[in-house]
Amino acid sequence: MHEHTGVVERAAEAYRALADLAETVEDEWQYVTDLVDAYLPSIQALAEPDPGLPVSAEAVAAVDEVIAEMALITDPHKAIDWLSTFPHIVALALGGNVDAAAGVQAAAAPDEADNEDSPFRMLMQGDR
Amino acid sequence: MRFQNAAKDARAVVYAGIQADPLVARVATLLAGATVAERWLARAAMNGERTDPAAWHRIFPTLFGENVATELRARADQILDASLAVANRGEAARSSYRGAVVEELTARLLATGATIGAPVRRERRVLFDGVPAEIHPYDVTVESTTRPEVYDCKWGARGINADVLNQLDDARAHAAEEDLGLDVAIVVFDARRSCQIRLDRATANRAGTRLVALEDLDGLTGARA
Repeated sequence: MHEHTGVVERAAEAYRALADLAETVEDEWQYVTDLVDAYLPSIQALAEPDPGLPVSAEAVAAVDEVIAEMALITDPHKAIDWLSTFPHIVALALGGNVDAAAGVQAAAAPDEADNEDSPFRMLMQGDR
Repeated sequence: MRFQNAAKDARAVVYAGIQADPLVARVATLLAGATVAERWLARAAMNGERTDPAAWHRIFPTLFGENVATELRARADQILDASLAVANRGEAARSSYRGAVVEELTARLLATGATIGAPVRRERRVLFDGVPAEIHPYDVTVESTTRPEVYDCKWGARGINADVLNQLDDARAHAAEEDLGLDVAIVVFDARRSCQIRLDRATANRAGTRLVALEDLDGLTGARA
């Protein structure tokens, strides 16, 4: 069996490498920085609250496989696209959530959170 | 306010050929009934380097794992096959195909909840009295006489920019000047969180613009008045 910590550390390292490539697109430096600031802690938090908890070999293989996919990317524009995709795929494999800041449960947009009839709120609750 | 077909320039003619490719309809049909996880699979495969299905099977154990029901695996495989067909069109073409897929998917989901008298159309301009027409048409429109809607569609959050947000907000404001409610939205086949990060840096007025991200797409099927 494998531990959460090791596989999550490898995913975080792959994400940093992806960001290094992506930030070579100068016009998007801010966006890349914002994505990394948001998602990297969320990826790292996938190991919590049970860092020593075993995860299935299937899940570990999934994360290592998507890390291998990231290693093939040489186009920085494609790297930007993957900065928003990679964390969600890792979370799917490990059964976690990267939809909100680390330690914070995903919620509706703040402006809409109090409006029960808001179509925005209804859309936010539309997960399948 | 009225809707009008967009004039077809050379770019639009080429793009129309992509929009009409049966592959676009195939992917959109599959994604219209997909789960969020299946939509992530499609986004990843259409943007991936490898086109070997086995690699994607390993990346998505929740869709292709040993414990997944046969019919669910089969559906995910259909989505994967179609997505890899887009990827196999090559780097130059796949971005156009992906954009066309998001537009077609949006139109199909909106049509699910459409009512008589509110047709869902593509590539339409919106004209207002005394206001010069926008150059770029809207990707998808729901042309209700009482509560029309316009949608701009993007493959990724990076497509959210000031021009898009301003055009949507200007349309909403001009409609309001004619005492008509116009719902404006941007549909992005990307993570809600990434879209929000992009929007948080946007200086354009977006208070009246709805965001529909990958996780929210099923909300487009809601019945309309």
